[in-house]
Amino acid sequence: MVEDYGITAAVNGADAKRFALKLMAEPLELSWHHCGVTSDFIGEYFSRACDGNVDPVDARHSISYMINEILENAIKFRKGGDIEIVGSLDGGTFEILIKNRIDARTAESFKGHLTKLLEREPGELLLERIEENALDPDSTGSGLGILTLMSDYEAKLGWSFASEHVTEGVELTTYASLRLS
Amino acid sequence: MEISTNDYRVWTEGSTIHYEGTMRLSGTDAYAPILEAMNSILASKPELITLDLTSLEFLNSSGINLLAKFTIEIRKQPEVGVRVLGSKSIPWQSKSLRNLQRLHPALELTIS
Repeated sequence: MVEDYGITAAVNGADAKRFALKLMAEPLELSWHHCGVTSDFIGEYFSRACDGNVDPVDARHSISYMINEILENAIKFRKGGDIEIVGSLDGGTFEILIKNRIDARTAESFKGHLTKLLEREPGELLLERIEENALDPDSTGSGLGILTLMSDYEAKLGWSFASEHVTEGVELTTYASLRLS
Repeated sequence: MEISTNDYRVWTEGSTIHYEGTMRLSGTDAYAPILEAMNSILASKPELITLDLTSLEFLNSSGINLLAKFTIEIRKQPEVGVRVLGSKSIPWQSKSLRNLQRLHPALELTIS
């Protein structure tokens, strides 16, 4: 069974410049540190491939920021397994797919979170969540990354949860795209 | 006060807090020592607190949450002013720092 939230249709076409990377769970032991180096690498790679009318500094940062936030979630919530990344650039649109495995419980709680999030205007909800977090000393601030991407970067995001063909848990694919300027 | 690693440095000079480098810490707990240092400046109730972010190249959303939390703490003390200095050449600052002003309209934001 596959359940989709947000925008999960691929934005970029077959002619897009494409790039795939797999972060292997073993033997390096995937860790927090890999989020930053991987996102910076892909940001650098694609900012060099942008058309002349795109600001490369902004493109490098925005691509890196978006991937870092999604990878931080993937590293934080994954249940073992590799992380697959496919990036593409078509004209001024950058798109990324990040695939990782999570357990069924995490998937259910994340779906509940997404349902609430997608009903609201992201900028307004971001401020509301920040105010709530400030009142709660135990708050982890989780979820603010997605809202920051939607509000401050105008990123289009989608999530696909697939529970077939996965021996253990749920396969989560996060789709994210950005219009570079 | 100074907190320094290979990736970033945070230090204070009077009531100015400087941030430098790349901060991608893993969440609220990891940022706690930095928030503690910031809160100790606020506890001395200066007239004006300056957050100098002009050398902070990257801050993840957990770090932006830290700045937002601190802004809300300052907002509770109307006698303490706050000024945030950013740089136009660092993209995240133009995109995200205006949220601090939305949380606390008296916050003075300069991105130059």
